[in-house]
Amino acid sequence: MSAKPGAATPTYSPKVVGRSRLPIFKDSDLDWSRPDGRGFPQCRPALLQTGAVSSASGSAYAEFGNTKVIVSVFGPRESKKAMTYSDVGRLNCNVSYTTFASPTLGQGTDHKEYSSMLHKALEGVIMMETFPKTTVDVFALVLESGGSDLSVVISCASLALADAGIMMYDLITAVSVSCIGKNLMIDPVTEEEGCEDGSFMMTCMPSRYEVTQLTVTGEWTTPNINEAMQLCLDACLKLGEIMRDCLKQAASASDE
Amino acid sequence: MVGLSIGEQHFVKGGIAQDLRTDGRKRLTYRPIYVETGVIPQANGSARVKIGGTDVIASVKAEIGRPSSLQPDKGKVAVFIDCSPTAEPTFGGRGGEELSSELALALQRCLLGGKSGAGAGINLSSLLIKEGKVCWDLYIDGLVISSDGNLLDALGAAIKAALTNTAIPKVNVSAEVADDEQPEIDISDEEYLQFDTSSVPVIVTLTKVGMHYIVDATAEEESQMSSAVSISVNRVGHICGLTKRGGCGLDPSVILDMISVAKHVTETLMSKLDSEISAAEACEDES
Repeated sequence: MSAKPGAATPTYSPKVVGRSRLPIFKDSDLDWSRPDGRGFPQCRPALLQTGAVSSASGSAYAEFGNTKVIVSVFGPRESKKAMTYSDVGRLNCNVSYTTFASPTLGQGTDHKEYSSMLHKALEGVIMMETFPKTTVDVFALVLESGGSDLSVVISCASLALADAGIMMYDLITAVSVSCIGKNLMIDPVTEEEGCEDGSFMMTCMPSRYEVTQLTVTGEWTTPNINEAMQLCLDACLKLGEIMRDCLKQAASASDE
Repeated sequence: MVGLSIGEQHFVKGGIAQDLRTDGRKRLTYRPIYVETGVIPQANGSARVKIGGTDVIASVKAEIGRPSSLQPDKGKVAVFIDCSPTAEPTFGGRGGEELSSELALALQRCLLGGKSGAGAGINLSSLLIKEGKVCWDLYIDGLVISSDGNLLDALGAAIKAALTNTAIPKVNVSAEVADDEQPEIDISDEEYLQFDTSSVPVIVTLTKVGMHYIVDATAEEESQMSSAVSISVNRVGHICGLTKRGGCGLDPSVILDMISVAKHVTETLMSKLDSEISAAEACEDES
């Protein structure tokens, strides 16, 4: 990767994102202990860094435990001549996995829709009217897939867009929650995702306290959904603060 | 898609705010649903569903296949949706691809449940013939013939009806063979097994227009939406899938309220669909 401590861009030190709320489910029901020893409502420590790709308009690198993602943003660039005139900007998203991203070579087919899901998450938050006739390209590359890949990609993409100076209504943060039996765990790793009974992925704008994208699979009772939503909102607010700190640090470092 | 003038837009939004939509319905009323099963004789199961002006056909074909190495004790289900250009001229060529893949993804999410199989509408283990060797592959195809809004609900209902209509031939695994050889299978022509569809969920799409939500939006109401949430609820009242569409942000309390409204609407919709499907099946048996 790019800058190491001591160089122009300081490495953002990981901070344990912990919840102060007590979990609603009783600890005595625990029949699943998390592989990395976290509590159920505890997210992985996040490492966020901007300016990872110097040739891009904006870029960001995110490391959430074993999930490592790099996103670069190119644009606004002239739209291809074949495309019709449009008085709002266009967004083009692409999410790809490296061949070494997962322990087994080759990927499952369920990652093809990540590009369109990233597009849907970003299109509501970017002010497209500010760059008419042009296209903004967002390319995400998952270097290592350690669980909650799409959430990390979305958060990292919004950081990269902020780094590129694209106008947005707010930063967006995404968090996912897995349901295994009676337990809800936030920010699941690959092993937990492989045997989950349900998954809940939420993308929200922390400052405006609005949900922009919500995807739920599996069977959920209404109290579980309430609990999952509350967990996600808490985590999104905290992650939003961490992203803001990262951007402020990058901005102040470039001022020096 | 015919564009709406400013006056028409105000009329649609104002009507929804007053609980009186342009076709006279209340906010939470569905258009009349018409179900016909057995429309495609070559398929194992098929159904045609018309909700107002929206007309979709779903067909289920079962083929013998090999279970995947990651899940050797389960069959496979694949959902494909095709938006035909007869519905909208923009659907021709590559135009309808994005909508088709979005619909297929939402339906797959609702039908197959979590990774462990919890909450699945279709029990994949029931599709197994011989572990690790032979299983049924279900190909569910949806075709949109005419589009007047609320495609996802119509496709969900059509798939539910098609699965109820599906008859999978009975298979006899003949002769014990060595582990690395394919076993011989004998597909019966006479005996069929009906699919168990008691846990297939229905999908309800709630469209937010202004400050209120409506159920079963027509195409012109959908053009005025700020966002839409499609919620799939099964017979027990559990949420089997949720997808939010549209770029506008929603307050979390609004989403939770939508979920309770969807559960309330599902009760009537589920019973209506069940009666329509059984009536259609009875009609088909008579003819």
